[in-house]
Amino acid sequence: MKPKVAFFEFTSCEGCQLTVLDTLQRHPELLEVIEIVQFREAMTERSDDYQIAFIEGSCTRPSDEEKIREIRTQAQIVIAVGACAHLGGINAIRNRMPLDDVREYVYGDKKDWFETYPARPLSAVIKVDAVIPGCPIDRDEFAMAVTHLLQGRMPAIPDYPLCIECKLTENVCMFLRGQTCLGPITRAGCDAICPSCGQGCEGCRGLVPSPNLGSIKEALRERGMTEEQIDARLSLFLTYQTMQMDGVTPA
Amino acid sequence: MKILPKHSLKAWVERLRATHRVVAPRETYGQYIFEEIENADDLVLDYHTSVLPPKKYLLPPREDLFAFNAKTMEMSPLIEEIQPTVIMALHTCDLHAITLLDKIQGTGHTDQHYQARRRKTTLVSIECLKPCMDHAFCKSMGTLAVPEGFDVHLTDLGDRYAVDIGSEQGEQLIEGLSLFWEPVEADYDRVNQVMAGKWPNFDYRLDCDVTDLPDLLAASQDSALWDEVGDTCLACGQCTKVCPTCYCFDVLDEIDLKLEHGKRIRVWDSCLIEKFAVVAGGHNFRSSQARRLRHRFLRKGKYQFESYGLLGCVGCGRCALSCPAHITPIGLLNTLAERRRPATEEASSRS
Ligand code: SF4
Ligand code: SF4
Ligand code: SF4
Ligand code: SF4
Ligand code: SF4
Repeated sequence: MKPKVAFFEFTSCEGCQLTVLDTLQRHPELLEVIEIVQFREAMTERSDDYQIAFIEGSCTRPSDEEKIREIRTQAQIVIAVGACAHLGGINAIRNRMPLDDVREYVYGDKKDWFETYPARPLSAVIKVDAVIPGCPIDRDEFAMAVTHLLQGRMPAIPDYPLCIECKLTENVCMFLRGQTCLGPITRAGCDAICPSCGQGCEGCRGLVPSPNLGSIKEALRERGMTEEQIDARLSLFLTYQTMQMDGVTPA
Repeated sequence: MKILPKHSLKAWVERLRATHRVVAPRETYGQYIFEEIENADDLVLDYHTSVLPPKKYLLPPREDLFAFNAKTMEMSPLIEEIQPTVIMALHTCDLHAITLLDKIQGTGHTDQHYQARRRKTTLVSIECLKPCMDHAFCKSMGTLAVPEGFDVHLTDLGDRYAVDIGSEQGEQLIEGLSLFWEPVEADYDRVNQVMAGKWPNFDYRLDCDVTDLPDLLAASQDSALWDEVGDTCLACGQCTKVCPTCYCFDVLDEIDLKLEHGKRIRVWDSCLIEKFAVVAGGHNFRSSQARRLRHRFLRKGKYQFESYGLLGCVGCGRCALSCPAHITPIGLLNTLAERRRPATEEASSRS
């Protein structure tokens, strides 16, 4: 029996779901091994009878929580898809600013019309069984995650830093090119795509299990970055995780 | 010894390309990487160092081991066709590293994949006449001269190369080619001059004698330096990826979506990443970065010497160049040597 799979999104750009669609085009055999019963971006049919839920997006409103919990109740396996669901994503940049200022900045005098609260990853709301990291996710990793699920195990993602993959690809390190990179503290799995294309890593796959933030900051400082620039660099995708390391979890 | 005039180098390489895959350093972003050359005009013999060492042709970063069918439970060997390969312009440090790898991969359970590649690989090395970079410490490690067991070794004499032949495999690369001349007296004089002239260009950078390294490391097992350095290490693993003597690998299975056709592969691993020493049950027997760093250095400077009679570091300096936290073998070993000294002096003043 093919497992029944559903896709959901919360606060996100839907880029990860687009990547799933693209993976389906590249690996049409995916449809022979799973049955998709709900996927708003791709089909009209919609069933709430599913075993595996892939959720994109972060939770940014108190009212999102109930829907997320409903999915958790129905699904046997919940997988966070992409940086928003995994890390709070770029939505969490605002968490370091007073929420009222953020509302005012975005909505102006209509700031009280809209519901919002600090952005958080799915794991802050429900138990998440596995994550497929990235902004957006990596096609091959999505296919591999499905393979692992079909084998009856949780998707295994790398627990080592990006530098490992980057060196296997034999990239000249961005630091040696006079640029900067978050590769040493970022979880591998994207094949170091940004350094391979001449860009330092921004950390979209999240932190490795034991990141040495002191040393990476020192390395960035040495390259002439100010404390403000360093904080900004570490906030694009890593706000929620770094705040958590400082012992701050938003209410 | 033979002589190859520089203007004949391209012709030689074109001849080699008829029968071999010829790989050589190519510049990219101010660094060099070894790659197959498509045209003899692309050949660069004068380069500082490469991002990955040429060992990648003997021990590829990712390598298929065998294929399997999970439905029928059948296994089939995946021996990829190995082209005869000439690696051009290896430096002597990298040559020493291959000598060590040959020993390791040829001892006990010999590594068939390594052996198969090694048999088809001929090494053309080139003498370094000045340090490749500030981080190099080959002179201290005794790797600035060609080791036994080289194939063909070149020394730049200005308008010509002196060509030493060290093996039958090397001989085959130049056999019967009129491109190579017999040396005359003046060539020998020039070689002596170049060789004598090069040594002062290099410094001894290690403060202790290289033969003392195993003892120094044994005496430093409990040094506080491991913790100090462990605090700055990012555990990024770059130092081990770029090292010409590292050979640890991880073994993984990949399978298609229908759970039928798969293959087992191996990928370079690194003792500096957090999970390297995690065993079944979840225990990590090298649980701190300090212990992992200590392990790496003891391996390079002590364990490999004890097992194979050769040190596991050839002084190429790649790890030092790559380290975002500036952890360098020279810095670390010299600090250990300096911290040991007072204790030794104390001990000798007591006796
Ligand atoms: S470019 Fe980035 S990921 Fe690659 S080795 Fe350098 S620091 Fe690591
Ligand atoms: S290199 Fe970094 S920013 Fe780029 S995709 Fe990979 S993890 Fe994300
Ligand atoms: S430990 Fe460093 S200097 Fe020594 S051989 Fe390896 S990369 Fe080169
Ligand atoms: S470390 Fe020494 S032997 Fe190796 S490339 Fe540099 S100068 Fe040559
Ligand atoms: S390169 Fe430096 S920071 Fe990275 S693992 Fe090696 S010693 Fe640690």
